[in-house]
Amino acid sequence: MVENILQARSAFPEFSLSRYHQLTIAVREHITMVSLAAWDGQSEKVQSVIQSIYGHSLPQRPVRVGGMEVSFLWFGPDRWMAVGERDGGRDLEENLKRHLHGLAAVVDHSDGRAVLRLSGARARDVLAKGLPLDLHPRVFKANDVAITHASHIGVLLWQVDDAPTYDIAVPRSYAHSFSDWLLDAAEVFSAI
Amino acid sequence: MGNSSYRSKTGGLIDRSQTIHFWFDGVRYPAHPGDTLASALLANGVRLAGRSFKYHRPRGILAAGSEEPNALVELRTGARREPNTKATVVEVFDGLEAFSQNRWPSLKFDVMSINSLLAPIFTAGFYYKTFMWPAALWEKLYEPAIRRAAGLGRASDDPDPDRYEKLTAFCDVLVIGGGPAGLMAAVTAARSGARVILADENFNLGGRAIDDASVIDDQPAAQWVCAIEAELDQHSDVRVMRRTSVFGTFDGGTYGALERVSDHLPSPPSGIPRQRMWRIVAKQTVLASGATERPIVFGNNDRTGVMLAGAVRTYINRYGVLPGRRAVVFVNNDYAASTARDLVRAGAAVVAIVDSRPGSTDAVRAVARDVGCPLLDGAVVIDALGSQRLKGAVVRNAAGSTETLSCDLIAMSGGWNPNIQLTTHLGGKPQWSEQLSTFTSGVLPPGMSVAGAASGEFSLKGAIVGGAKVGQVALTQCGYQPVDCAIPSAISESAAMSPLWRVDGGRGKAFVDQQNDVTTLDIELAEREGFRAVEHLKRYTTLGMATDQGRTSNVNALAIMAELTQKSIPQTGMTMARPPYTPVAIGAFAGHHRDKHFKPTRLPPSYAWAKSHGAVFVETGLWLRPSYFPRPGERDWLESVTREVKTVRNSVGICDVSTLGKIDVQGPDAAAFLDKIYMNAMASLAIGRCRYGCMLREDGILLDDGTVARLGQHHYFVTTTTANAGKVFQHLEFCRQWIWPHFDVQIISATEQWAQYAVAGPHSRALLRKIVDQPFDISDQEFPYMQVGEMTVCGGVQARLFRLSFSGERAYEISVPARYGEAFMAALLEAGEEFDACPYGTEALGVMRIEKGHISGAEINGTTTPTDVGLGAMMSRKKDFIGNVLGQRAGLLDPDRPTLVGFQPVDRGQRLRAGAHFLARGVKEIAENDDGYMTSVAYSPTLGHWIGLGLLKRGPQRIGEIVRAFDPLRGYDTLVEVVSPVFIDAKGERVRG
Amino acid sequence: MRITCPYCGNRSLDEFLYHGDAEPQRPDATADNAMDAFVSYAFERTNPPGQHHELWYHEAGCHAWLVVTRHVSTHAISSVDIARDLAKARTPNTAGRA
Repeated sequence: MVENILQARSAFPEFSLSRYHQLTIAVREHITMVSLAAWDGQSEKVQSVIQSIYGHSLPQRPVRVGGMEVSFLWFGPDRWMAVGERDGGRDLEENLKRHLHGLAAVVDHSDGRAVLRLSGARARDVLAKGLPLDLHPRVFKANDVAITHASHIGVLLWQVDDAPTYDIAVPRSYAHSFSDWLLDAAEVFSAI
Repeated sequence: MGNSSYRSKTGGLIDRSQTIHFWFDGVRYPAHPGDTLASALLANGVRLAGRSFKYHRPRGILAAGSEEPNALVELRTGARREPNTKATVVEVFDGLEAFSQNRWPSLKFDVMSINSLLAPIFTAGFYYKTFMWPAALWEKLYEPAIRRAAGLGRASDDPDPDRYEKLTAFCDVLVIGGGPAGLMAAVTAARSGARVILADENFNLGGRAIDDASVIDDQPAAQWVCAIEAELDQHSDVRVMRRTSVFGTFDGGTYGALERVSDHLPSPPSGIPRQRMWRIVAKQTVLASGATERPIVFGNNDRTGVMLAGAVRTYINRYGVLPGRRAVVFVNNDYAASTARDLVRAGAAVVAIVDSRPGSTDAVRAVARDVGCPLLDGAVVIDALGSQRLKGAVVRNAAGSTETLSCDLIAMSGGWNPNIQLTTHLGGKPQWSEQLSTFTSGVLPPGMSVAGAASGEFSLKGAIVGGAKVGQVALTQCGYQPVDCAIPSAISESAAMSPLWRVDGGRGKAFVDQQNDVTTLDIELAEREGFRAVEHLKRYTTLGMATDQGRTSNVNALAIMAELTQKSIPQTGMTMARPPYTPVAIGAFAGHHRDKHFKPTRLPPSYAWAKSHGAVFVETGLWLRPSYFPRPGERDWLESVTREVKTVRNSVGICDVSTLGKIDVQGPDAAAFLDKIYMNAMASLAIGRCRYGCMLREDGILLDDGTVARLGQHHYFVTTTTANAGKVFQHLEFCRQWIWPHFDVQIISATEQWAQYAVAGPHSRALLRKIVDQPFDISDQEFPYMQVGEMTVCGGVQARLFRLSFSGERAYEISVPARYGEAFMAALLEAGEEFDACPYGTEALGVMRIEKGHISGAEINGTTTPTDVGLGAMMSRKKDFIGNVLGQRAGLLDPDRPTLVGFQPVDRGQRLRAGAHFLARGVKEIAENDDGYMTSVAYSPTLGHWIGLGLLKRGPQRIGEIVRAFDPLRGYDTLVEVVSPVFIDAKGERVRG
Repeated sequence: MRITCPYCGNRSLDEFLYHGDAEPQRPDATADNAMDAFVSYAFERTNPPGQHHELWYHEAGCHAWLVVTRHVSTHAISSVDIARDLAKARTPNTAGRA
């Protein structure tokens, strides 16, 4: 087989790392997202397969479990999003498909979702301008996950650490509008 | 003019170290930071602030807060010009420009004040009575004339240049109002660790404690307030929001608040919004919004120099301004005492205390003695004298004789109304308190409690104790442990009063609502004419409307109506409020979402490629799609579209169809599930095959159409129209979760994952052969019409190929992961170069589907059935599906229903227009003769004339008939021939190659 | 208004879509009176004051359909249930696989 001749395009082609006072916004290009949706009554089997391969037990509420390479986000009842921290999404997808055959629907979303990472003390203040969610550290903690909307755009958001750092996945076609809003909201925090 | 002769030497919370300047009606005046426009005008001896709404009477400043009905001014110039701002809440900054309203040619000489002489026609209900006939003159004459004569300032015609933000905040305890009660509630909650938001509409906290220069904990109130503010700042979970009006109570502990971030600055600093709209979600709320003082209604009570007594004290204590030098204090309560004391201390003469209560009280008598002024008990002011400047007060004493007292200020107080508007937004009815002679809150919104003057507790000590107590209840409700803290000491001053609503016997008009120029006579008239219910009274007289929402007039009006009808006040009614409590700019509601950001824009995967290749885009829903791709030398869109259509019909073209909804349906019951969703069979679809399908609503009307591909035993991939993608997904989830919960099937949206392109035209397979990797075989034997397969393209890129056709030509849809979408578009065009392939947009797509008689959004329009669009035979009779039963209703099967057919102009040179209605020839153009309408039209490059699709009564039976296409709206009327909706390749041979 | 999604937690109204009354159940399409039953199911609604059971869709969240018990005069929500769980409990498993 010849080498792939197609150039991949970023969902945020005009976006570069943006540094503000107590805030950075970066694009997460190399991330793989694959959704798992368990058949009825197969939830426990799916659990044990994931446990045996990845060593994680799938969450039953909106949190993230996992490690440096692969983590699993709650993504609705009996649904999860497997997030691969490295590129090459097909491996993760193929792996999950092979092991979960007959147990769950496995669908690749690596191209359908575009992910930004916000980090720093001002992250909550920026997100408050469009995200109707309480991100107070006593309410929303590291590894918590939320499916909601921001600035009229559906988002899947999870907190990475207590910096705080948030990863926010939006549908690819909305990436441009989303970053427009986010940069506008962050403008006030430009380094003085 | 211009000297600060009304400014005291010391005192107030203004910054005397700096002098700034502002302009009012073109005159420059000095002021100090910390002044409001009202306090600065008063300091400069300017009493006249504007002309009234209806009668153009000269008006001054009545109040010192957001309840001000009179002193409405226009601020700034150009795009930032803002009418109807209350001078009492505008903070002065250096260079501020303000203008009086409703006067021409000048404030002092206003020709429209002749309206005063025409008062008889401007009484209550005058709009309804005076301008009734002839009705045709309303738009042309009456309304413009009324608007010129009776208005409230001019808005700017330019776009709003400022930015606004819309935010959400969460807290345990929201405290509304930063007076003593609110501060105590906030600090009590904060000390326990609760998350607190304290919002106050003023630019400094303290409320009446600093307005009255009270003493708290043996120190000046301002000092105590500073200490509390400093403590609140120490708590990381406390947000103090100054200049923030909580304007609405909504369900679920949600409050709307407007933060005026930059209104006190000449213009917002870079990146900073002018205002922020906050949605605050609170577990508990403490309403400590204070109270509004009631005016007393007497003759000419609107004269400049007639002021609320509490406002007089505010100007003296907070701003170091003396509103007058010779004051008459006119009250029905004990606030005469503090008012007289503050006036004298500030250097004014108190001519007399006029107390309507016979005998007055010890507290008032003591102060009168202390300051050495006469106390006229059982007496009332019946008239104010002077026109642009107050000259005196006519007082009727207890014995009934009158005397005139010379004065330049009447400080009046008719008691206080708790600011309970926010308690009524969810429908809680206020309760009348006989003891306080005012309305207090009734049933409170869930989670809300009330403290301080807002609860009817008017004393300083009561506010402090009540605030702490309510704060403690709130924090406990939120699960925090109260922390013991000492209650600061304060006096418990007397708020004793005896109701007095209006004084009769005056010669001048007695105003109840000064903003809307509603007098006691108007209320009497309304009563005589039967508009007695409070809501009727309001609408008939306009009382209580506009920017102040009747905060100084509603209760007085109600009391006067009660008197007239000899009922009690609670029997007469009560005033309920709706949001917003104070005016909110529309820009604040929009926030970021204006102009091109009004709604998000979705970009298809080939967007950047299309843009760089000169595409003209069209908005379809949220998507921005290429409409057509003009080439140099083409004169108009029609020429470009015609070329694109011909290229597809004769060679090959490529179109981005990624916007179609794509849904993965997987699970052991996927087949059975889709059989319930689609009106035609899907379980029988073979693996590797596609089928066109339609789904209905339960009422039998078409919901959507699209293709269904079967990728595996338990795996289907369905597409929806672009417009209905979200709706169909929701419908599928509804059926899966609610109607057939036992189906073991999962539904996953894959719209965004795939870049999908239609490759259409006779050379489409040849083109794809250059793209598809070996060894995948796309020969017609291996890959016939309606086949689907997974493969790789361009050297290993995962792809799905569907052999589908919307154009009627041999065609394919091919999808790759979206990240490759842009490069793949370029690769397809490059591979197509030898065929002169071109990209095509939604216009050519639309033309070709009309040529083929394929239905689209114009035909699936929420009123049509499958039979209407010629797909009745597709409906399965062997299974139950959504819409199955109700689709059989007689009305929906009526053969008279308009049914899909094609049309072409009898004169082939004529164009057609969508929306035109069909009429049989020779009948009258009336609705009864309407035979249906044209849904879609296009110029057909293939046929060389216009063609159309439409819904015509008994259409298929009328093929060959000539009918009229009639569009009176656009003056369009032409004869068309009824033809088959399939204009080209009626046998459908071309799709198979 | 705010709705507490059993999965996602307390969220603002604008994440949800209102569908309608949760009381009518889709009738048996093969029954003799199917037409009348479907007409009633699709079109006939009472609207008494007081508690209503309503179908809501957590559109901007987990996509769960919910049955919200709401007092239509006060908007007070007394319970939020997962529609699929209620539906499973209500109907015997007659659908789907043979």
